[in-house]
Amino acid sequence: MPETSISMEEKEIKLADLYLAKMLWPFIRPYAFLLGLTTLLVFIVTFFELLMPILTQKAFDGFILPVGPEKGTHLFGFEIISFSNFCILFSVIVLVSFVIDFFQSLLMEYTGQTIILNLRCGLFSHMAFLPVAFYDKNSSGRLVSRVAGDIENMNEMFTNVLIFIFRDLFLMIGVLVILFSINIKLALYLTAMVPVIAISITVFSKILRKAFRTIRQKLAEINHSFSEAITGIKIIQTTSSRDRFMEKFKFLNFEYFSASLFQIRIFSIFMPFIGFMGVLSVAIILWTGSFNVMDKSLTLGELVAFLSYMKLFFRPLRDLSETFNLLQNALASAERIINVFKQEKAKQRALVLRERIDKISHLSLEKVNFSYSEDKPVLKNISFRLPPNRSIGIVGRTGSGKSSIINLITGFYGPGSGTISFNGIDQKSINIEDIRKKTALVMQDPVLFSGTIRENITPSGLDMDPARLEKAVYDANCDFLFEKFSGLDTNIEEEGRPLSSGEKQLVCIARAFAFDPDLIIFDEATSYMDSNSEQKVHDAMKKLMKGRLSIIIAHRLSTVRDCDSILLLRDGRIREQGSHHELIALKGEYYHLLEKEKI
Amino acid sequence: MLNWIIDPILKLIYPYIKKNLYKILFGILCMIIVDATQLIVPQVIKQAVDNLDKGPFDTNILFFQCGYILFLGLVMAVLRYGWRNLLMGSARDLENGIRDEIFNHILTLDMAYYNRTKTGDIMAHATSDINHVRMAFGFGLIAIVDTLLLGGATLGIMIWTHPALTALAMIPMPFLVMTTRNLGKKTHTLHKTAQESFSKLTELVRESFFGIRIIKVYNFESIIMNKVEKASKDYFNKNLKRAFVNALLKPLLILFFNLSTLIILFYGGFLVMKEALTPGELVAFLQYLGILAWPVIAIGWMTNLFQRGMASLNRINTLLDSRPEVASPGHPAVLSDLSGRITFKDVSFAYVKDSPVLSNILFDVEPGMSIGITGPPGSGKTSLVQLIPRLYNTTSGKIFLDGHELESLDLNFLRQQIAFMPQESFLFSSTIRDNILMGRYVNRERLDRIIEACCLQETLEKMPKGLDTVVGERGVTLSGGQKQRIALARTLVDEKPIVILDDPVSQVDTHTASKLIAAIHQMNSESSFIIISHRISALASCDRIYILKNGRINYSGSHQELIETSRFYGESFRVQQFEEEKNA
Repeated sequence: MPETSISMEEKEIKLADLYLAKMLWPFIRPYAFLLGLTTLLVFIVTFFELLMPILTQKAFDGFILPVGPEKGTHLFGFEIISFSNFCILFSVIVLVSFVIDFFQSLLMEYTGQTIILNLRCGLFSHMAFLPVAFYDKNSSGRLVSRVAGDIENMNEMFTNVLIFIFRDLFLMIGVLVILFSINIKLALYLTAMVPVIAISITVFSKILRKAFRTIRQKLAEINHSFSEAITGIKIIQTTSSRDRFMEKFKFLNFEYFSASLFQIRIFSIFMPFIGFMGVLSVAIILWTGSFNVMDKSLTLGELVAFLSYMKLFFRPLRDLSETFNLLQNALASAERIINVFKQEKAKQRALVLRERIDKISHLSLEKVNFSYSEDKPVLKNISFRLPPNRSIGIVGRTGSGKSSIINLITGFYGPGSGTISFNGIDQKSINIEDIRKKTALVMQDPVLFSGTIRENITPSGLDMDPARLEKAVYDANCDFLFEKFSGLDTNIEEEGRPLSSGEKQLVCIARAFAFDPDLIIFDEATSYMDSNSEQKVHDAMKKLMKGRLSIIIAHRLSTVRDCDSILLLRDGRIREQGSHHELIALKGEYYHLLEKEKI
Repeated sequence: MLNWIIDPILKLIYPYIKKNLYKILFGILCMIIVDATQLIVPQVIKQAVDNLDKGPFDTNILFFQCGYILFLGLVMAVLRYGWRNLLMGSARDLENGIRDEIFNHILTLDMAYYNRTKTGDIMAHATSDINHVRMAFGFGLIAIVDTLLLGGATLGIMIWTHPALTALAMIPMPFLVMTTRNLGKKTHTLHKTAQESFSKLTELVRESFFGIRIIKVYNFESIIMNKVEKASKDYFNKNLKRAFVNALLKPLLILFFNLSTLIILFYGGFLVMKEALTPGELVAFLQYLGILAWPVIAIGWMTNLFQRGMASLNRINTLLDSRPEVASPGHPAVLSDLSGRITFKDVSFAYVKDSPVLSNILFDVEPGMSIGITGPPGSGKTSLVQLIPRLYNTTSGKIFLDGHELESLDLNFLRQQIAFMPQESFLFSSTIRDNILMGRYVNRERLDRIIEACCLQETLEKMPKGLDTVVGERGVTLSGGQKQRIALARTLVDEKPIVILDDPVSQVDTHTASKLIAAIHQMNSESSFIIISHRISALASCDRIYILKNGRINYSGSHQELIETSRFYGESFRVQQFEEEKNA
């Protein structure tokens, strides 16, 4: 089972969970028929399973030790006289039940997995269209576990839990029905034990859940210690702190050990307890049953049959607590998944008349205010213009609101007040996709997806003229792809390997080139890069900016020096605005920052 | 051949068996009694039923029989509690001990080992391999005892009752064993493939969420959705394959079991009719078959478990057997006070045979002298300094410390003489204080000085708990520059005769960089000093600067000399100076 997030929210099963079923119904409905069919098959399989002891009994009563004067027995209304025929029929039943049993398991897996597949794809495509604000609010680890771990927990529900409910529960009910039909009084005695068992299972599963959670947490911490020790081995060895790490690890490992011992103890109380309940009920039934046999209200054969069916009743109980936990986990996951589904997709700002734009030629912000949460304004009264073919640089400390401006221009967030206009048209009345189609973004952490370079530059589905693609690659100074790697077919692995961070950024710029945007935004594109790579990235950036609107965000002043206009942001306000030389002449904050940077 | 099994068991498992011997023996005893008791209960029931059949009904006997059953039930419950705790507890103790050993061992391995081995593999030894071993020697042990005792006893009784009937009834059993074994194996491999597909899917989802802004700006939503759908389908297919094999298992087991029942019923019934077998014996036979089912299934399951466990145990054994090439000599030279003179004599080094990273390096660091190293990426700078604390051994040539060959010194002693800052500033997920001190003691005054020298005051003031703020994966995320300055502080805790800094200021701005460099020099004025940097201004004050190119010392000299002699140095200097001045 995949590792789910450590802080797993636990959940009690409530009647309100029917609501979950309602929400998930759209995903289940197309497969309702298949689910119905598997349920039917489960009935049949259970029927066969219960039939086996009866068949054995019939073999005895009818042939081996005939009760009546003549050999033979009745089965499904047919009279069978020959023992060989009976055995042939028995074999056929065994084979048929095998086939049905197999087919049932398969069908159930198939149905469950298909529902899960659809649910996962449905969930992901829903999430892909959720606004960026949703991603900013939730840690990406959590979001990933929605699509991965939580869906997988649901998978458990559709396979293990449903199998239990359909199979074991049916079996138990079937057994109970048979027991009642044999002797109502004895069966009532047995059912008196059910509440005791039910309560003990609830209590045990609660304790177990806690134990399992601690074990999971400790194991995650142990794994973390291992990976940390491996990554930090140089430091551990050169600071001679091996003993200390070992000591810490031993402590952690011991905690895990204690937690697992606790879990063993719980199980070693629970399992024998259920076993003892079985023996206890045998004693009770034997005691009362014997009196019934004596006063002739029960035959001896019935008592024996009762005792053997009772065994079947206790068998599934041992797994009940585990199933119970799985169900709880699945329901908790279902709830988290539903919560994601309840998130509204990015609203298309509802306006009757939406203007189309094919080209962004100029951009302006007017008296824009913005905040992520009510009480904390991030941008205050921001106004600037970006005329055709011009560039603007935005500088300021971390938290001054630089990146928020980008969030607004790209429509990731809407402004609190004020207007953002493209070509003089209010952003609100433009289809946001029109704007994005003409905008390219290069961020501080280069984003590359696993796949080939070609797929990263022009994702499959967008066919591009090879000559244009090649030009984009060379314009972005990506020659190294052909020199060091296998060109456009270089495979990118996790975290952009095997490219260096500078190279990754160049590929991102190539992507922007291939896109041929009207507006290009660089968000700290050259932070933390060695000077060699930085030079190359700068060079590519300059080429890309030519003939386009561009916005460069940087904390290093040298990056924006050549921009036509520079904004200096502090605490969400524009403090200074002008060209590099104008700002120097001003001898204000910009000038002081520059002096500081210069040593 | 058997060494493959015996050696690792003797070495890794035996100590724990010895340690827990009484627990294990007592646990097995408990299990034997439970198994035997399990066989008695049906006998008592049978007697009770037989008594009822005979007619005159004695309440006292019935009371005694019911009481006896309850007593047996109680004994079973207590003993089951016993063996579960004793045997499973011992298995956990084994797991715990082996994990400690592995962790302890990996801390001693050298960098060369880590370069050859994937992190994931080592992690696998610590997680799934240990699990397999525990399963094999925990559950496996339980299964063996159960199979041998319960299965053996049952089979014995059956053969004693009627050998021919037993032989016939046993025909499907080998198939039962093979089914569990083969399907179990198959499920395991299919499960692994499915898991791999699942990891790919997870990674795809992770990177999509990470790059959500890019996806949205470039309208990649539908493309990425297709990709996720494809990956999900792949997982679906692989998982279904696993499910298919899994779905086959239980019905097949039931089939073989039912076939056995059928044989007993048909042939046994025939025997009863011929009066060669009593009806009671036939009933008993059927019941014994029921008892036999579990041990037979367990044989197949157990062999898989044991095989997997042995393979894992061998992998763990190999890991624990691996000896680092970098190790202390048997009789290390004794040195008391070190002046810090480092001499490289014709040193060559290669990570992989025949592709030298450093060739014929020759230089000398006088005590208290400061050395700068620069050069284009991949020229061998990092490899060079890593040889001094013996993170790697040289391939040829020798390095001397105060005239003693490095390999003649105690490794711990050597490393204690050096303050070393690796290129990647790695922080452990712990408090900032822990990260700086790394378990060493330092007085308040010096700690304050270190913090000041590393320009950390402002950073710490902004942290919710100052020095005690937890950083890393489960705490505050720091910027590259902040990490670098904390890593730098780590090297300044103790005054060491030798200070080596690998690119210490790559992620901080020029102004801070110069402040840092000056402060470090001041705090280690007596030490020999080696610093690698791309930033010429960080090297300018060094007594001597080496320029590496393709693993060789290309130029050396003072800052002023190099500006004139080396084109690389001069140009880098001018470009960087221009960058800085351009802002003026």
